[in-house]
Amino acid sequence: MFSLLQISGRCRKLEQITLGHGSGGRLTEQLIKNITELFPSGRKDPSVSDLEDCTFLSNDIAVTIDSFTVSPRIFPGGNIGKLAVCGSTNDLAVRGVRPEWLVMSVVIEEGMDMEEFNGYMESAAAVCRDLGVKLSAGDTKVVPRNSLDGLFITTCALGTADTPFYWGMNNIKPGDRIAVTRSIGAHGATIGAARYDLGSKTLSSDCAALWPAIKEITKDRSVRAMRDCTRGGLGTVLCEWAEGTDLGIEIEEKEIPISSEVISVCDVLGFDPLYLACEGCAAIVFDPEGEDRILSALARHKDCSEIKIIGEVVDEHKKMVGMKTDIGGMRVIDMPVAEMLPRIC
Amino acid sequence: MCLAVPHRIIEIIDSGRAFAATGNIKVEIRTDLIEDPSIGDPVLVHAGFAIEKLDMEDSKELENLWEEIREYADES
Amino acid sequence: MNHSSDSRSEKGSILVRAITRASSQNINLMEVCGTHTVSIFRHGLRTIIPENIKMISGPGCPVCVTDQGDIDAALELAEEDMVTMATYGDMLRVPGTSTSLADLKARGRDIRIITSASQCIEIAEKDPQKEIVFFSVGFETTAPATASMLLEAQKKGLENLSVISLHKRTPPVLETLASDPGIKIDGFILPGHVSVILGHDPYRSIPERYGIPSCITGFEPEDILSGIFSIVRQIEEGKPRLTSVYGRVVKKEGNIKAKELMAEVFEYCDARWRGIGEIKSSGLAIKEKYRKLDAQYKWNLKTKEVEPPAGCRCGDVLSGRITPPECPLFRTICTPSSPVGPCMVSSEGSCSAYYRFRGGAESWNR
Repeated sequence: MFSLLQISGRCRKLEQITLGHGSGGRLTEQLIKNITELFPSGRKDPSVSDLEDCTFLSNDIAVTIDSFTVSPRIFPGGNIGKLAVCGSTNDLAVRGVRPEWLVMSVVIEEGMDMEEFNGYMESAAAVCRDLGVKLSAGDTKVVPRNSLDGLFITTCALGTADTPFYWGMNNIKPGDRIAVTRSIGAHGATIGAARYDLGSKTLSSDCAALWPAIKEITKDRSVRAMRDCTRGGLGTVLCEWAEGTDLGIEIEEKEIPISSEVISVCDVLGFDPLYLACEGCAAIVFDPEGEDRILSALARHKDCSEIKIIGEVVDEHKKMVGMKTDIGGMRVIDMPVAEMLPRIC
Repeated sequence: MCLAVPHRIIEIIDSGRAFAATGNIKVEIRTDLIEDPSIGDPVLVHAGFAIEKLDMEDSKELENLWEEIREYADES
Repeated sequence: MNHSSDSRSEKGSILVRAITRASSQNINLMEVCGTHTVSIFRHGLRTIIPENIKMISGPGCPVCVTDQGDIDAALELAEEDMVTMATYGDMLRVPGTSTSLADLKARGRDIRIITSASQCIEIAEKDPQKEIVFFSVGFETTAPATASMLLEAQKKGLENLSVISLHKRTPPVLETLASDPGIKIDGFILPGHVSVILGHDPYRSIPERYGIPSCITGFEPEDILSGIFSIVRQIEEGKPRLTSVYGRVVKKEGNIKAKELMAEVFEYCDARWRGIGEIKSSGLAIKEKYRKLDAQYKWNLKTKEVEPPAGCRCGDVLSGRITPPECPLFRTICTPSSPVGPCMVSSEGSCSAYYRFRGGAESWNR
């Protein structure tokens, strides 16, 4: 039997870093802001928005970095090694940057099976070979058992611009169309299903490299901006565009491609598919003049065959994203705050 | 206060458990709260428990209401 | 993102036309289920229902109505070294007076998110040296699962498992709202899945004694709109009664087996509802027969009466007296990343729904 201590009446703000800070929503936004404000900016043009997927260091060379801590490490559709290279190179690809170099750090928990580790490295190397990306530098560390969960991989990808001008949200104008390159939420649903014991023979992550498809449209002047819909999903990308451009966005629920497996996982766990991570799906904004060219060029690639226009940029309700729902109502999409948790209510 | 999702029972494990499917997703559920769970039964699942067997057709009450709804909707 | 979008938007137009033509008065309809609150926002129903019908969100979010003192007592227990606290995801970020389960988890406490009460048994069997405590909230949809788990735990003679039962009952709070002269409610949208368990009878007093039309409704947007139409017709006819548009799931007699299980394990007790106060016989306490599994007794939990944080108006929001934007803390001090009360944190809380869905797209012209 234990008796409880008196509880003081004060109200305390949360002072720890929580998983919510890593989930891609508003808490993550705050954390990033706190960090970047301390450092001199390394970006070529500091006036350009912070919220693009990679940064230009000089006129032509762009860089991005990402860490991969996914659990489970192996999932239908991929593993942490494949994800580590696809993730970083996609962040270059969506700004029309050809991925050319990779710098990689691996931190390995003592006791990991050597064959398992080699398998991840082989998967990562296979993506590099397919893309023509060279591993230029790297680092390995081994830490004592229980210091981390198996394996963390950090990849820094660099490449050269292949576009006539920088792709980014500063180009976005009212009247532009918005498309997604494939059905959303597959990666997040696959990981959620694995974590919470939902079985499926057909559910699979969308983990894939996007450069082979995107390189077909890098010279098309109709492209305004593109984003990789990773942490925080499509919903977060749209909110960041609306807030960053001071324009409005309107999309239609019935146009958003989503598989029945992802819908089922969301129904069971109470997730909102708009915020589920994708790892092979990009959102693209373009001048309607280029619609047919862009859609047909991307649709030729197997990872973009489901490409669909979902909405447009508007001059009204600035900074807000509205979705016309299936039943004909209007719902405002906001950024998620923290990580999605399974609900019963 | 109640997220619940229709599933279909696909396998009986024992007197209190079964496998059920919604779409292509398979989950283990508890069947303690319903009578005679059988393979093929459509059930409503909340927090891992089947809480009722489903009638796949809408009730007569709702059908009658829809007649009234259409009357009002079609009035010019 | 739907299985049959065209038919859904057609049905939506028909329903909205019917509701608009059928209703002539200014009326307030209250949905008493947080899942309804979220569904109404998610489908943008407020933007298509005619303006003379005002939707009010009631105290149907079990997380929001859990008394802060009860939350504090559970959190205090979760800080003990040998305790593993199991909880549904909904409770993780709810703030107590000085901490939350998410905060404790970040500080290294053993907090486990479960998706089914039966997982507590698995955890207890797997870790016999740990004390598993299940922080159990929910209405009558969820309580039978807890009852079933307690029966199984008793049968297995598990000694390292106990439950903090903060389950609450829906009919008493409905009566409290229906009889409150300070709140104008012209119709109730009744919780579809609670009704799966309870059936129709527990609600009959609402139309019969209080003259308030009520309709048991599912959670798809067509269900909710049909329910609104049914209530609107009752109001126009002046004939309040209990109707149901969820007959494919809700039987008139409810789920007898689930009710028997609940009656075996639980007894009614008086319970404190956050912001509303004590409502008689509105809680479910574990019976003496199962006392070894009752965390209140095992851990001698003492709940202090806690003053809500200054300025917090969760109680008025929960009872439908004000809408979230009318609370001075809404969006200023109280936001999802720094919530003051549970209404903002819970996935189903009115304030969270208003915030996340930005109050229903008022800025759009239709």
